[in-house]
This record gives sequence, structure tokens and C-alpha cells, in this order.
Amino acid sequence: MAAKRRIIIGDSEISVPEKLLTLGIFPIIGIALIFWLFTGVYTVGPDEVGVVQRFGKYIRMAQSGLNYHMPFPIETVKTPKVTEVKRIEIGFRTIGKNQYRTVERESLMLTGDENIVDAELIVQYKIKEPINYLFNFIGPELTMREASEASLRTVVGRHNIDEALTSGKLMIQEETKELLQSILDKYETGVQVVAVQLQDVSPPKQVIDSFKDVASAKEDKNRMINEAEGYRNNVIPKARGEAQSMILEAEGFRESRISRAEGDVAKFKAILKEYSKAKDVTRKRLYLEAMEEILPGLEKYIVPSGEDGNLLNLLNLGGTKGAK
Amino acid sequence: MKRVIMVFFILIAILGYTTVFTVDETRQVVILQFGEPVRIIKTPGLHFKLPAPLQVAQHFDNRLLEYDVSPEEILSKDKKSLIVDNYVRWRIIDPLLFLQTVQTEPIAKTRIDDIVYSELRRELGLHNMSEIITENRELIMETVTKQSAAATKPYGIEVVDVRLKRVDLPQNNEQSIYRRMQAERIRQANKFRSEGEEESQKIKALTDKDKTIILANAYKEAEEVKGEGEAKAVDIYARAFSKDPDFYEFYRTLETYKKILDKKTTLVLPTNSKLFDILNQ
Repeated sequence: MAAKRRIIIGDSEISVPEKLLTLGIFPIIGIALIFWLFTGVYTVGPDEVGVVQRFGKYIRMAQSGLNYHMPFPIETVKTPKVTEVKRIEIGFRTIGKNQYRTVERESLMLTGDENIVDAELIVQYKIKEPINYLFNFIGPELTMREASEASLRTVVGRHNIDEALTSGKLMIQEETKELLQSILDKYETGVQVVAVQLQDVSPPKQVIDSFKDVASAKEDKNRMINEAEGYRNNVIPKARGEAQSMILEAEGFRESRISRAEGDVAKFKAILKEYSKAKDVTRKRLYLEAMEEILPGLEKYIVPSGEDGNLLNLLNLGGTKGAK
Repeated sequence: MKRVIMVFFILIAILGYTTVFTVDETRQVVILQFGEPVRIIKTPGLHFKLPAPLQVAQHFDNRLLEYDVSPEEILSKDKKSLIVDNYVRWRIIDPLLFLQTVQTEPIAKTRIDDIVYSELRRELGLHNMSEIITENRELIMETVTKQSAAATKPYGIEVVDVRLKRVDLPQNNEQSIYRRMQAERIRQANKFRSEGEEESQKIKALTDKDKTIILANAYKEAEEVKGEGEAKAVDIYARAFSKDPDFYEFYRTLETYKKILDKKTTLVLPTNSKLFDILNQ
């Protein structure tokens, strides 16, 4: 075995073969050179892109996988995540799973008709041009946040409160996206806005009750109309039914009246026929028959003719019915 | 001999270190010769200069820089107080001027603050609150940006964008807005309710009217029908009875007697009545 030399570095001690030292400085330089060359090896992840700079100047892009650039400090590489969709929240912050905290300072804003709404927004964006993104501006997070907030407020300021709360939501979303993208393009950020989503847009909590009351007033209105319609639906068919029955009854009356007349007439005609055969006899017979029919049920008094003066006495005979 | 070589290499290294320098994509450089600017380098890459004590490279940022202005209370033309929170995006376009006037970014920011604030206050003072909040906001800010850019040019600074992040009202004004909003909603709610009342009344009244008309029409038709029946009956009777009116009278009188005389009737018959004619004989 070759002789070894002991070298003390700090409080540890290593032994190096004598031969290695006698080789001189060149092998060491060689090894160092190899290590140095290896500093140029780098990997680009599947969601990344490699941006290579030579002496600070952008020189080329590298795709995902194992890559090589000239060793440090000649070339350096930056690997921004270009497929990742980043997200910022305006007006609220997610603090754990399904838990949110509102940030009123951000979410309360003035509408075009000088009302205040509470609006929350999510902006999703990704890097479209990595070179612009890396070299053109500072503070990507801050820039995104400030530009998003400014855009949202500008757009909400163009609309009135009812639009913001109801039908205009989609429009506000679209306009915000457009404005935000135009600001980011103006700054040459290389950022693409993927989506802008308005979360909750609601009246401020100080006045939310009166907004709710408007909604219930609308319900009340509908209810009142429905009730009235119900009344109508109840009354009109009944009236029609009543009308129908009145007419039917009248028709019945008409038919019966006619039939009765015809009946009476038929009877009369029959009797008349008999009568015309023997007028005098029939007349007497009819009279007597009628009397036979009528008189048995009656209370009657027969008085001699011409003695009308006694009529009162006669009445007294009745006992119960009489004069007092 | 070996020593001489070593010293030579070390000297070369020092020389290299102080004469060769890189300019990053995000940077721009001013070369100072004894404090005197001699060269501006804006292209990134490898560059050379005289060694250290003779020439020094001063680096500046070449990117779009941010500045978040703290919220300020500003009066609009209609004397309404607004709390304005804006931000500024700017860049160093002339590093030489920048170096000569403000030197560092923090100082530059205070300069920008002064300029933007005064421009903003002047410009917002020319417009009513509603314009600032709504339609003209972008136009107003464009003007402010332009004027600020002109004012910061002597410092080698370009103001790229001044943008209103928030325009809010002071606390007590906010309360009055809430009160107004509330009143407005109460008005709306009342409107809906009375509209409901109105509609309901209308429908009910219309219903009652229709009902009356339906019944009246039915009455009319019914009476017509009845009348028709009556008329026909009369006609039938008249035609039959007119064949022998005398007999009809007699016959009909007998029929009437049958009907009107019942058990409650007391009849006084004089002997000379027709019924007793035969007895009297």
C-alpha cells in the first residue's frame, strides 16, 4: 500500500494517498472541470418550460425532459410552470377546506347608481408567454391582484345595482375579463386570463333585510294576483252554471206552458164538440156537474130569496164563526 | 517560476472579474468613469469595461415596476369626499437621468407619489363624483397617467399606468348611502305590494262585473224564452176559444168555481139562485 498523508481539516482528519498529491494540480483541475461541466444538466418538468439565458441574455427555450446548458455562469435556466392555472381571490380568502373569510375592504364597491354591493371574484390565469412573464414586470401576484381589483370595480361602476345583483352578472364577468386582459397586455405581462368568475354578489349586510323584503313583496304581489285569479276561477264558472240553469228552467217553463195550453185546448175542443150537438142540455149538465163537485165540501146556508134582512141571523147560527 | 505563473493567473482573474460583466434581461446598466456616466447599456448579454476603480457598472431595473399608493381622501368637483386608492406602474426609461435626479427606487417612488397625487387631485377635482365612479373613470385615469408621465419624464421615469383600485366613500357617507338604499328598497317593496293589491282588486272587480253580466244576460234570455212560451200559449187558447166565446166563458167560469171554492168557503145560497130553479118550480 502506498504511503498516506494525514491532513487535518478543522477537527476532522482525512488520509490521502501520497501518490495523489504528487500527481500535482492538473488532475484536480480536471475533476473540477468535470463537476463544472455537470452544472449544466437540468430537468424541465412536464408542466414547465425552460428559459435559457446566456450571460443574462435570453437565448433559447427548452422543452420538458433532461436538458443541458453551458455550465454556470455562462448559461442559466429558469423553469416557470406554464400549464399551471393560478388563482387569486378578490373579496374573500379561502382559509382551509370549505372555509372562507370575507375581506370587506375588497368586496364592498360602488355601483354606477351610487349604491354599494358586496361582490366576490375569482380570477384564474396562466403564463402564456414565459419570456414576457419572466423579464417584463415585477411582482406577478401583486400585479394580478391590483389589476383584477381595479377591473372589477371599474366594471361594477358601469352598471347599476339591480344589474349587478341579477341579470347583469354574466356581463360584468365578461367585461371584467376583457378589461383585465387588456391591462395585462398593456403591461406586457405574458399572462392569459383563463376565467373570471363572480362568486356571490349581494347587497351589503347592513341593508340585506330590506332587499329580502323586496323579494318577499314580489312574492306577495304574485300571491295576491293568484288569489284574485282563484276567486275569478271560482266565481265565473258558478255564474255560468247559474245562467245555464236559469235558461233551461225558462225553456222548461215555455214547453210546459205550451203543452198545458194544448192540453186545455184539446179538452175544451172535445167538450165543445159535444156541446155543439146539444147545446142546452149540455150546458145544464155541465153546470150541475160542477155544482156536484163543488158544493159537498162547503159550508152552505140556503136562504129564501128576498129576505136579505135575516142574513145576519143566519150567520149567527154558525156558532163559532159569528158576530160577537 | 511557478510562483510567477500563479500570480499572473490571479491577476488575470481579478482583471477579468472587474472588466467583464453581464447584463440580465431584466436590467440596464450605466457605466460610470470616476463618477461620470459614459455609457448606457440596454442590451442584455456579456459586456466589457475598464477595471474597477476606473469604471463602475451601475445596474437598474428594466422591468415594469410597481408602486402602491396609500389611500388618500380627495374632493370631487361637487365637493364630495372620496377615498381613493390607486396604484402606479412605471419603469426607468432613461437610467442616466434617473441616476442624476433620483438615484434609487425608494426616492423615485416618493417623487412619483408627489406627482401622481397632485395630478389625481387636480383631475378628480374637475369631475363630479358620479363621473369618477362610473362612465368616465377610465378616461380620467388616462389623463392622469398622461400628465404624470409628462411630469416624471425629467426623472428618467415613465409612468405607464395610474389606475384606481378602489374609490370608496368615507364612513359617514357610506352610512347615508345605506340609508338611501334602504329607503329605495322599502319604496320598491311597497310598490310591489300595492301593485299586487291593485291587480287583485282589478281582477276581483272584473270578475264581479262579468258575473253580473252573465246573470243578467241569462235573465234576459230566460224571460224571452218564458215570454215566448206565454205568447204561444195565449195564441193557442185564443184560437181555440174564439170558436165559441160564449161557451168558453161558461165553461171557464165553472172551472174557476172548482178552483176557488174550497172547504173554507161559506156559501150562502138564496133559493132563487139558478141552482134552485127546479126546486122553485
